[in-house]
Amino acid sequence: MTAPILALRGVNKSFGPIDVLHDITLEVKPGEVLCLLGDNGAGKSTLIKIMSGVHQPSSGVIEMDGQPVSFPTPRVAAEAGISTVHQFGGTFPLMSIGRSFFVGVEPTKGWGPFRVYDRKRANAIAVKAVQDMGITRITDGDRLVGGLSGGERQSLAIARAVHFGARVLILDEPTAALGVKQATHVLRIVNEAKRRGLAVIFITHQVMHAMAVGDHFAVLIRGAVAADFKKGEKTREEITDLMAGGASMASLEAEIEGYMASHNGHPPPPAA
Amino acid sequence: MSSTSLGGLLRRPEAGAALGLIAVLIFFAFFGGVTFLKPAGMASWLNVAANLGVIAIPLGLLMIAGELDISVGAMVPFGAMTVAVVSGHYDMPIWLGVAMALSFGVIVGLVNGILVVKTAVPSLIVTLGSLFAVQGVVLGLTVLITKSTSVALSVEGPAKAMFGDFLFGGQLQVMALWWLGLTALYIFFVHFSPFGNWIFAMGGDKVSARNAGIPTDRLTIILFVLSATSAAFVGMSQAILYNSAQVAGGQSFIFNAIISVVVGGVLLTGGFGSVVGIFFGTITFAIVTQGIYYTDFDRNWSSLIIGVLLLGAVLMNNTFRKMALSATTKKKGAKA
Amino acid sequence: MAFLKSMAKALATTALVAAGSAAMAADIAVVGGSNDDAFWNIIKKGIDDATPAVEANGGTVTYLRLVNYDNFAPDVVQLIRTAISMEVDGLVIPNWVPEAEDPAIKDAMAAGIKVILMNAGGADKATELGAINYVGSDEYVAGVAGGEYFAGAGQKNVLCINTLPGTANIEARCKGVIDGVTGKGGKGAQLPLPSTSFGDATAVAEAIKAELLKDETIDGVITISAGDADSAAIAVEQAGKTGATKLGSFDMNQAGLDRIKAGTQAFAIDQQPYLQSYLAVSLLASSIDFGTDLPVFPVLTGPGIVDASNIDATLAGVKLGAR
Repeated sequence: MTAPILALRGVNKSFGPIDVLHDITLEVKPGEVLCLLGDNGAGKSTLIKIMSGVHQPSSGVIEMDGQPVSFPTPRVAAEAGISTVHQFGGTFPLMSIGRSFFVGVEPTKGWGPFRVYDRKRANAIAVKAVQDMGITRITDGDRLVGGLSGGERQSLAIARAVHFGARVLILDEPTAALGVKQATHVLRIVNEAKRRGLAVIFITHQVMHAMAVGDHFAVLIRGAVAADFKKGEKTREEITDLMAGGASMASLEAEIEGYMASHNGHPPPPAA
Repeated sequence: MSSTSLGGLLRRPEAGAALGLIAVLIFFAFFGGVTFLKPAGMASWLNVAANLGVIAIPLGLLMIAGELDISVGAMVPFGAMTVAVVSGHYDMPIWLGVAMALSFGVIVGLVNGILVVKTAVPSLIVTLGSLFAVQGVVLGLTVLITKSTSVALSVEGPAKAMFGDFLFGGQLQVMALWWLGLTALYIFFVHFSPFGNWIFAMGGDKVSARNAGIPTDRLTIILFVLSATSAAFVGMSQAILYNSAQVAGGQSFIFNAIISVVVGGVLLTGGFGSVVGIFFGTITFAIVTQGIYYTDFDRNWSSLIIGVLLLGAVLMNNTFRKMALSATTKKKGAKA
Repeated sequence: MAFLKSMAKALATTALVAAGSAAMAADIAVVGGSNDDAFWNIIKKGIDDATPAVEANGGTVTYLRLVNYDNFAPDVVQLIRTAISMEVDGLVIPNWVPEAEDPAIKDAMAAGIKVILMNAGGADKATELGAINYVGSDEYVAGVAGGEYFAGAGQKNVLCINTLPGTANIEARCKGVIDGVTGKGGKGAQLPLPSTSFGDATAVAEAIKAELLKDETIDGVITISAGDADSAAIAVEQAGKTGATKLGSFDMNQAGLDRIKAGTQAFAIDQQPYLQSYLAVSLLASSIDFGTDLPVFPVLTGPGIVDASNIDATLAGVKLGAR
């Protein structure tokens, strides 16, 4: 029975009079992928921001390794081993792979104000890190990140997080803007991260992707955890229904069917 | 691995600027003839490039970092007038005038930087405000103290040799040495030291940069101080060289420096560029604007020729940058 | 009854006198260029020195100045209209851009405002518009004086450096120089510099140097502003032509006067801006208050050539901000 690396217990968040998150209780264990599902506006991005130190919870506790912690700034969260990879940002498209990998913590030779950035070493480490994660097409650390495909850029960002010792990897909609093939690359990397013992929190609204990698699922609806289940406990349709607020979708479908039947399949006439 | 190949060279941010420079050099060597290529001719554009370059590089770094400083247009006359009033009108030692001119540069740079960092006002607006404020101060104080808008200055000795004279009694201003030395320093700090990477990160994505632990505020303020002080330095040196300072003037540096920076391959939106590129861009601009006088083209068409050549240079840069971004590695065996 | 009648008479007379003095007070608006221009600063001193006399007679003087020259013609017209809306009695206006300004000046006159042209416009324009006079210099005449000075000194090929190409009065300066020198058997040409060099002393200096190197026969250089002469002096030196090539400038500054005293500059053409504004304001106020009319038409304040022969007196005036 491994202890969870990261746990949220009864976390609430309000911005002024607006309550965004209600009583969130979640946990994620090392080597496990928690998929956070939810439609737009469910509160997923606020939840990520709380976990990564951008916001503080209005009430409730965050625990790491069983101990209560607080993350007053993103820096503190990062130092504790929580790494966030966003959908579009953080990889500096106009920089080379090596430089982008080591932003802020560039390897250097020499000392004092005249330290020199060690380009060769940075490139070598960055390329190796990415290749170890399974992307073999990247071989030249001087290439610009913007020349990589979307999937390769996500992979680079994840490889970087892993390399710098992330213990919890939060992936914010990593596959949303990718085609099928590229999304598969990313999912493969997620599995590799899982294999190495990281805890992964995978935020998405694409059920298929979630089911490919997830061990544990939580569905967020309007700021609260509407469902919490393990892999295999629910089917794809059930999950989609949950996310889309299934009931209203079903009633809309019924309405359309009824209308089409009574009007012989013709669209309504234009308003007079 | 591939940065030594031709493809790798062409993908560097300096590539477009270097080719642009060679092209205009050939153009004016052809149309300007022997006089353009003699030392006096080369000195013409080197002198203009040197004064512009000292300002263009920190301005370019600010642009790479995602900011803009247009107050340099007022800092040039501010530096000039300070040294002229202190050491000319009041006849104080020249070193006091030099120290004051540079100090005012630092102060205005600090004000610019702190305002940009502490308020949410875009740097264009902040430096627009300081542009007018400094212009007003220069005019008001100069007229109050000297009752005129032009102040004479006469400098002898080491100060003249260091800041405002011609090398070895020849054609090249000593500013050219300052420019080359400063460029070398900038190249080191921007391209070989980790600090430079931070500037690119700030321009690419400031929030991510800050999250990666980069002290963006401190770096921004340092860059604004460099920019304002460089402009004051150029103004001060010109006053020493030309023996006088005017209240008006210096505006053209804003536009000319930005042109040099853009011709040098820096993106207006930030995050991309190089000091060597800015260096080449400055020289290209200087050659284009000064080379005309060695040719037989009707001078009334000067502005048109300048515009066309600069547009060509910028388009070339765009093409090279697209090439750099779209270069893909060769596929090895089956697709990954 | 008689008492009331004399009371009424007294009241009426007082009212008339009061109305009369109000009618005689000259409220004058002066339109001028921006104050960071050395030239317009001297104009301002002329205005300031003439103002006490105007105020002593119950009038006022308002200086409407252009902030910058970026949107020149429309801004000037706007200032004229501002003066009209202020319901002034008199307007002192330079006629820089006739096509744009004339309609506005005519409107001012139609509104009953007396107009005097200053600094730009000329005698013919003043007659055409119905202004009471033109006080200023004639750019062309000043240029001719400059050109003839070069010729008189034995120079044969003069280059006029124009850092503001396209402005009518500046073009007239260079044209005057060229005509003046060719009239005496020499040759002259204009060098127009593009806006990228404006305000950059090195760019101007290097351009002049290049021209001097290209054409060895140039032995006279004249600049349209005093600041440009500082650059030209260095250019002449760099081209190795000091002594052989004589330098002149339109308008003057301290450094230029120092050069004239030291012998490295031959002359400066002074349009004596202090006199322009001082006389324009005084003549206008006097015409409004007392109906005077000066038969001297136009009143030319320049060209006043400053060279080695009168440099000391001029230097004294510069110290007081009047030259």
